[in-house]
Amino acid sequence: MTSPMYEIRDASKRFGGVLALDGLDFHLGAGEVVGLLGDNGAGKSTLIKMMSGIVPPDAGQVFVDGGEVQVRSRRDSQKIGIETIYQDTALVDSMSIVRNIFMGRELVGKRGFLDHRRMREVAIDVLRTTVHISGIDDPDKEVGALSGGQKQAVAIARAVYFKRRILLLDEPTSALSVRETENLLGYIKRLRDEGVSSVLVTHNLYHAYQVCDRFVVMSHGRKVFDVAKADTSIDELTRHVVLT
Amino acid sequence: MNRPVAWIRRVGQIPGGGILIVFVAIQIVCIAGGLLFPAQFRYLASGNISVMLQAIPTLGVISLGVGMLMIAGEFDLSVGSVYTFASIAAAALLNDFSVPAWVGLIAAIAIGAAIGVLNGLITLAFALPSFIVTLGAMLFWRGMILLMHGALSIDFEPDPVFQAVFGGSIGLLPASFLWLVLFCVGFHVMLQHRRLGNHMFAVGGNRDAAYAIGIRPGQVKLIAFALAGGMAALSGVFSATRVNSITPVGGAGLELQAIAACVIGGLSLNGGRGSVLGIFLGAALIYTIQDLLLLLRAPGFYLDIFVGALIVGAAILNQVAARSAKR
Repeated sequence: MTSPMYEIRDASKRFGGVLALDGLDFHLGAGEVVGLLGDNGAGKSTLIKMMSGIVPPDAGQVFVDGGEVQVRSRRDSQKIGIETIYQDTALVDSMSIVRNIFMGRELVGKRGFLDHRRMREVAIDVLRTTVHISGIDDPDKEVGALSGGQKQAVAIARAVYFKRRILLLDEPTSALSVRETENLLGYIKRLRDEGVSSVLVTHNLYHAYQVCDRFVVMSHGRKVFDVAKADTSIDELTRHVVLT
Repeated sequence: MNRPVAWIRRVGQIPGGGILIVFVAIQIVCIAGGLLFPAQFRYLASGNISVMLQAIPTLGVISLGVGMLMIAGEFDLSVGSVYTFASIAAAALLNDFSVPAWVGLIAAIAIGAAIGVLNGLITLAFALPSFIVTLGAMLFWRGMILLMHGALSIDFEPDPVFQAVFGGSIGLLPASFLWLVLFCVGFHVMLQHRRLGNHMFAVGGNRDAAYAIGIRPGQVKLIAFALAGGMAALSGVFSATRVNSITPVGGAGLELQAIAACVIGGLSLNGGRGSVLGIFLGAALIYTIQDLLLLLRAPGFYLDIFVGALIVGAAILNQVAARSAKR
């Protein structure tokens, strides 16, 4: 059997008295979109944070293309090619849209000076072409002045611009309008066609069913159901989310 | 809307622009007063101008370091003590070990930066508010000055070249003011055009978001702490060179004046906001008002009243500006 592109084996994480992840196994294939489902407190966000390196695991191994890697910081996960859109968006309100998109990965010229003009152009381009969020006319606007949906759009634009292999989306649609949500889901599909894998955390089974190739249902830090889209239905998924 | 009003509005929207408008307005009034009543209001007398330009750099240099740290989301209340401690250390090196003055200057900056880093390490390692840690450091190093040196003032007499480069003047322009301008340009470039500056804004604005995106907040904050300590030491040596003597209690109160300059200059106490232009003008404005009151022969306590009102007024203005920017 060939090894999957990305795999976590036997991952555990404890926060005080709570076992957020309890010996979890999870894998992701190349160009695959996996829906990560489960009720609140099932451990979905912890898994996403572990994959992006901001929550180091207590135990467990990570394999990329069959080789074991250490993921203990955001930099480690960046090397693997992971981009994350967080539930709480991870933006700095007091900074402009452009500065937020390029935060930590600023474009610089030869002598290390920030290339403000190029960053501005890219930001305008990404905002216009990928997320189609109306109302963002000025990329120099402070993020604190934006609505929830617009903020989410900036977070999406950032992940989309830096996308490489794996896109993690933690409740990305919670602040979006119907039309914005459709755009985002369409974009996940387009990225899959380009070979980018995604993990989509959501409470909305209809959204998940629309774009995902496979579903993983979690409960109390464990994987309780793992099924390909072809072998299941929304009803069956609902039962597993609600009853486990 | 007519053109000047629109123009003033545009200036008001750039970082530090609000304070710039206030500063220019006060200067216009003062200069007009100086021209109209040259005998009674000696604002434009060369002696007055040179005294003012000599006074600003002490606070300006220290405020630059404190400001960077505030933008990165932390405070340093120990800069006044560091200012004195590091310059006395430099003077002791000159007097007792007869090292060249520039070695003393570098040693002072290194001591200041080291104290800053120590403040930062304690703050970060125990997740304490830097306000508390540096309040302790302020008292600690103030006491260390008296323990190691005593309460007597100490001479600081560097070689003539050093004296000219840091304490001389070109016409009315003191060397220390030119140094301040140079540092302002350098810090502005760092803040606006280098990665480090961008990371300071990010870490000060939202530490968790900066961390989630791959910035190391601890590292950025330590650099900012080092800058605050190093600039305080540098300011101490500048002052020592100007008057060729250091009093062990000389730096007391500077830490609050520096924070005042930063707040007047539009820096947020919560971090993540501010500009070098604002810091410079904040420091310059405090001394302009001091000078103004001296020229009007107002008793000394008027300065506290005016600066106190100015701080609160500036904070209110900044708050209003931040709110209107959100709409």
